Amino acid sequence: MDILIISKFIVVIALIIMMLAALRASAYKSTSMGLLGSSIVVNAFAVALLICGEIYNLAFYRDISLALIFFGFVGTIAFAVVLGGDDE
Amino acid sequence: MIEYVQSILLIISAVIIIISAIGLVSLGKNTKNKVYARIHIVGLFDVACIIAMIALGQFLLAGIYFILAPFTAHAIANAYWKKEDRENNLELQNVVEDVGEDHPFLHPKEKMQALESENSEKLKADERFSVTTLEIDEGE
Repeated sequence: MDILIISKFIVVIALIIMMLAALRASAYKSTSMGLLGSSIVVNAFAVALLICGEIYNLAFYRDISLALIFFGFVGTIAFAVVLGGDDE
Repeated sequence: MIEYVQSILLIISAVIIIISAIGLVSLGKNTKNKVYARIHIVGLFDVACIIAMIALGQFLLAGIYFILAPFTAHAIANAYWKKEDRENNLELQNVVEDVGEDHPFLHPKEKMQALESENSEKLKADERFSVTTLEIDEGE
């Protein structure tokens, strides 16, 4: 088996571990931790989709990954602005 | 040759991702500023993802992620600071400002109160000023 394929699978496994850790972290009591955890899960899924798209020849995987990164960013910023409220 | 470079970069990013995952869940209960520490750890994860994207040849995505990730971290930290940390952290509410004696503009609160009080020794010693009180009759 090619060493590149093995290292790609290692990264996917690491990303799955990171997603589980992020889900655990998002269950802490602070609202910001939920925001942080969801942001991590979205970004980890985008990178995992990049890797799996190359391995399994998925269609449009780059576009879906770009959309996930960009709209995950927009959603995180929007929720953070709502959470922060107005300046006093 | 380039396959080896790609796989080394991917393995480096996998190691960094696992380290950040361990750090994210292993912060103790008594750690101060836990949320900020976790945001800092997520910065490490972001860099690992950027390394993985570069290894996969997705340079545009890596550049976009490199630009957007600090904004996300700052937005979350700012929201936490404004609505949760500043209102709930008791240590932040009782901040004691340590002002030196020789500071030209800032003076300690006790020193100013002592100066403004009527029995201040400095007011007594300073004879250049005299204080007069006018009695105003409101009936006039």
